[in-house]
Amino acid sequence: MKVVTWILRIASIATFAYMAYLVYSILNPNDIWHWDAPYSFVVTVFRLLSLIVFFLATTMVSGLASAFTGGVLPENVIVGLYNTLILRTWYMQPYGVADPLTNIQQVWASFQMNLSNVILALWNNTFLFLYFLCAGIGIALFLQSLVRMDHKFVGGAFISIQAIVILAAFRALIVPDIAPFPADFMEFLLTQGQILALVSFAYLEVSYQMIYSASVGKPVEDREETLKKQLLALRQATRKQDAIERGEKVSTTGMSRSTGATAFSFLREAMERKVLGSQSALESLDAVSDVRRLQIYVDDLLLSDSRARDELTAKAAAPSSSYVIGSTITGSAIRFLTVVAVSFILMSPNVIRMILNLPIGIENSVEMLQPEIVVLFLVPIVGLFPFTAAVISWVSRREVVEKEKLSEEEKDAAKKRKKDLAQKRRETEKARRARAKVRKARKGIESEVDEWDRALEDTFKR
Amino acid sequence: MITQRGFVVVFAGVLLLTSGFSFVNFYLVLLGVYCVIGLVVTLPLFAMTANLAGIEVDRQIDKVKLFSGDFLRVRVTIRNVSRRHFDFIEVHDQYPETWILAIGENFIASRIEPGSSMIFSYILQARMRGRYFLGPTEVIMRDRLGLHYYKRILKEQTEVLVYPTWKDVRRLDSFAKQRQLGLMFGAHRTKTVGMGTDFAGFREYVPGDEFRLIDWKASAKRGDMVVKQWEQEKNVQIICMVDTSGSMGNGYPENTKLEYAIRAAVLLTHMGLERKDLVGTCVFSDIVNGYVPPGTRPNHMYDVLEVLAMAEPKGWSDYESAIAHVVTQSKKRSFIIWLTDLEESPAPLLNAMKTLVANGHKSIVISPFGPWFEAPVGQFGPVEKVLSEAVSEELWERRNKIARALSRFGINVINVGPEDFLPTIIKTYEQAKQRGVATF
Repeated sequence: MKVVTWILRIASIATFAYMAYLVYSILNPNDIWHWDAPYSFVVTVFRLLSLIVFFLATTMVSGLASAFTGGVLPENVIVGLYNTLILRTWYMQPYGVADPLTNIQQVWASFQMNLSNVILALWNNTFLFLYFLCAGIGIALFLQSLVRMDHKFVGGAFISIQAIVILAAFRALIVPDIAPFPADFMEFLLTQGQILALVSFAYLEVSYQMIYSASVGKPVEDREETLKKQLLALRQATRKQDAIERGEKVSTTGMSRSTGATAFSFLREAMERKVLGSQSALESLDAVSDVRRLQIYVDDLLLSDSRARDELTAKAAAPSSSYVIGSTITGSAIRFLTVVAVSFILMSPNVIRMILNLPIGIENSVEMLQPEIVVLFLVPIVGLFPFTAAVISWVSRREVVEKEKLSEEEKDAAKKRKKDLAQKRRETEKARRARAKVRKARKGIESEVDEWDRALEDTFKR
Repeated sequence: MITQRGFVVVFAGVLLLTSGFSFVNFYLVLLGVYCVIGLVVTLPLFAMTANLAGIEVDRQIDKVKLFSGDFLRVRVTIRNVSRRHFDFIEVHDQYPETWILAIGENFIASRIEPGSSMIFSYILQARMRGRYFLGPTEVIMRDRLGLHYYKRILKEQTEVLVYPTWKDVRRLDSFAKQRQLGLMFGAHRTKTVGMGTDFAGFREYVPGDEFRLIDWKASAKRGDMVVKQWEQEKNVQIICMVDTSGSMGNGYPENTKLEYAIRAAVLLTHMGLERKDLVGTCVFSDIVNGYVPPGTRPNHMYDVLEVLAMAEPKGWSDYESAIAHVVTQSKKRSFIIWLTDLEESPAPLLNAMKTLVANGHKSIVISPFGPWFEAPVGQFGPVEKVLSEAVSEELWERRNKIARALSRFGINVINVGPEDFLPTIIKTYEQAKQRGVATF
């Protein structure tokens, strides 16, 4: 299965690369791929922050100074000196500020003038930056999908790349489009937008097939790997214990190193003798004992049952690679053709017009040329598929309602248990009432108070 | 049913469609339509093939009764009895939460051909005693792209009874080995002078003694008539009363008062059977949940284990009903060991003891003290610490009063914690043997 997964992985890489290239090349005439866009964006953000801080700092300092000097703004020389010496020493020079500003009114005027410029520049840079951000996220998620085989990364990569087109469409740039939508199927197939759409869909299809191939074969492979690791860890743990035990034995008794089992037994006894009652020591002893017992259990199992290892790894459950390749190709081809054909019928008003024989007024309406017309057909047709599936499910009655199946014996046993319990309760309650009655009758009689009752009274009195 | 990845496709489709409508862009609309149609187009075909009723799951286990801490292999066979293949099938076989998956995995995901089967197995470790069920089994079928799924839960369950742990007995056996080496003094048989095989000594002849008992050689040496004495070996009859009221369930999981009481009962029964003593067990709360009369049958230990395995901490302690039941069932003089936390009202307990003594039985109370089984006080904050200490003191005072009342009638109360519970039961048994309490 690894081979199939690798083939599909290569196909996924190819479709993603082609999709990314098409998006790049179609959007290239817009002159948006400025490689310094991320840097410009970051610089602009800092300039904006710098401007705001400069304005706030100058205003605050002037305000504080005027508060201390009885409501009089500081001298121009002081403001100019402050701005020059303190603020201008910043690494990021406030946007639009070139000369020393000598009074607060100049600072405010400069702020009002420059703020809109900075925000406008930031707005433009943000989009340039977002194209790169989406592309970066898309590539990162795509790489993750190849390694982790998770559909979230595939979906994320697909949406990120398409988000570039959506953003460009929002900015009213030149984007892939199929307008007017062709009435001829062949013409439709060869348009640039259709090719991009097809490649994008192919990326989704191939990547999901890749994940299927990995997920259908990997659990069995992983299972085998996990079992190997588990058995190895178990063996190492017991060997380690043996080693420790041998060490203990040498230091305490000098018994033979060759008899590990005897040494273990000896150690266990020694530990128990030494630490009886110490909870943690006993717990660790239990853990050691558990590992040992598991090792013995597994060894016995593998020895006594020749199929045990294969069952633990579920080796026989691995599907054949040839079938997966064949079914992937045929399945994808059928899905592709169906999706393209159905989509063409949905998207092309002419086909629908011919099929439905619409009145001339509707045929010539502007709405027929708008994308919204798709919704009119899309919703019922999309709803048709789940409806058909539901009908098929209902007809074949595969929604099996599972009921807990109890054999007659089990039912009888459960009934008997319930009956016995109820009877016990009844009898106990009856006996309890009888005891209470006797006690009540005896209550007033002094001679009936024995030493037990006195002990009880004493207990309560103390 | 649409899967998570199906919803990702729906989201992408809706996003592209709405963007296409907003910016009047046919490319975005087309791609949105591709996503939506691609999601639903195979749905009827999938519904046609996904006949989950064609999947049969069979679970087999090596044994249905095992000890806590033992390992169990579970084999699961999945058969496709339908005439169609399943592209992707996931089978999750569920096991009790408290158990540990030791080796292997309890699920499988693969493709299954018509008429074929898959087998997988895994090894579990049963951690706590009780009645457990393996299963149900969850079968999920997905389409190739994983956009849709059908789920079916096969509710067939396999019952497993987990006996209390046997580790204490194993430890005791290791003690026994030490005893053979002379490192420890072990249990002693109760011996009384009478008819037996072991020589005990001589005593002076008294009129009425049988002539055959006179040792003529010894009499000739002493110049006076002496008779030979023999030792008769006697066994004791013990009944262990295990309280399973709700309060006995307090404490750390796996280390509750009840768990310790059960371990003590198992240990006591084992020791008794080893030395041919009769040990019975009564598990009670507000009713008598189970009673195994004292005996030495080969299956006696398993009967006791079964009753203890089913014990659940619930209800309240009705000592009177429990002792009434035991007294009715057991006519012989017995030594009754109560394993109870004494958290009920003392009046019923004293009444129960009264019945017990009146019927000629001897008794002792081994009482786990609640706070010693709870979280250590060091782990609490200052407020909780003060509160817990106050509660502890109150409880301690209360049980001291009960102990004083019971001591008047020669019934001792031994307060135990997790660390000395088992040593105390061993000691109590040994002392009972040495003193010859309730011999038969």
